Amino acid sequence: MRKRLSIIFNKAPYGTQSGRELLDIALMAAAFDMDISALFIEDGVYQLLDNQQPDILHMKNHSSTFKALELYGIETALVSEDALIHRRLSQGQLLPVAQPAKQNELQSIIAQSDFVFML
Amino acid sequence: MATFSLLVTANPHSSQGQFSAIQFAKTVTSQGHTLKRVFFYADGVLVASRLNCPPSDEYNLTKTWAKLAIEHDFELVACVTVAMKRGITNAAEAERNALTGDNLDPAFEISGLGQLTEAMLESDRLVTFG
Repeated sequence: MRKRLSIIFNKAPYGTQSGRELLDIALMAAAFDMDISALFIEDGVYQLLDNQQPDILHMKNHSSTFKALELYGIETALVSEDALIHRRLSQGQLLPVAQPAKQNELQSIIAQSDFVFML
Repeated sequence: MATFSLLVTANPHSSQGQFSAIQFAKTVTSQGHTLKRVFFYADGVLVASRLNCPPSDEYNLTKTWAKLAIEHDFELVACVTVAMKRGITNAAEAERNALTGDNLDPAFEISGLGQLTEAMLESDRLVTFG
């Protein structure tokens, strides 16, 4: 049986490397044909902001890799609606890679997972 | 009895996660469970340097992991990408990248993230210490 994996992004990009490191875990696990959900909660929603310019800080921009999630066979990518509201963000400001989801949807995906990652 | 693997991301010099991971590894093996692999990622890889030199009255995490792994026959694997970034390298990678030396402790190996995924597939539980 395919193992289910939830990868939870809960931190803003560039302040820490955790977003990039989680993304690498997601892509590698996808290559092993695991059932992966990428979940963006709390400050993790900032990972999806479009038009990031980390090059000003001489840091590598990893956000374009989020666009490759679907290509790698990662079927589920969800962003917390509550987190967006609290941060006054709209779907239009984000890369079009994740569907908005309510808290209980996110909770049920995590509950059904064999493994959960958050760095 | 279950099979466990660990994912250790805690910085050995500035946080407590590695100490908890060692306690957990000791408990798992003492209760007769199998510990398959400990995968070091993010700042966790810093523990794999044989040049780590804490004061003599402090716990040496590198040596403790090495001793435990030999006693209980489990693998200590550091992710190559994040390790090289942080200056943790074995002789082969040092040569490939024209570095002047290597520092990987002999009890550890350097490998890819596939080793983490494989650990998941072959373990009942993966426990993260961050």
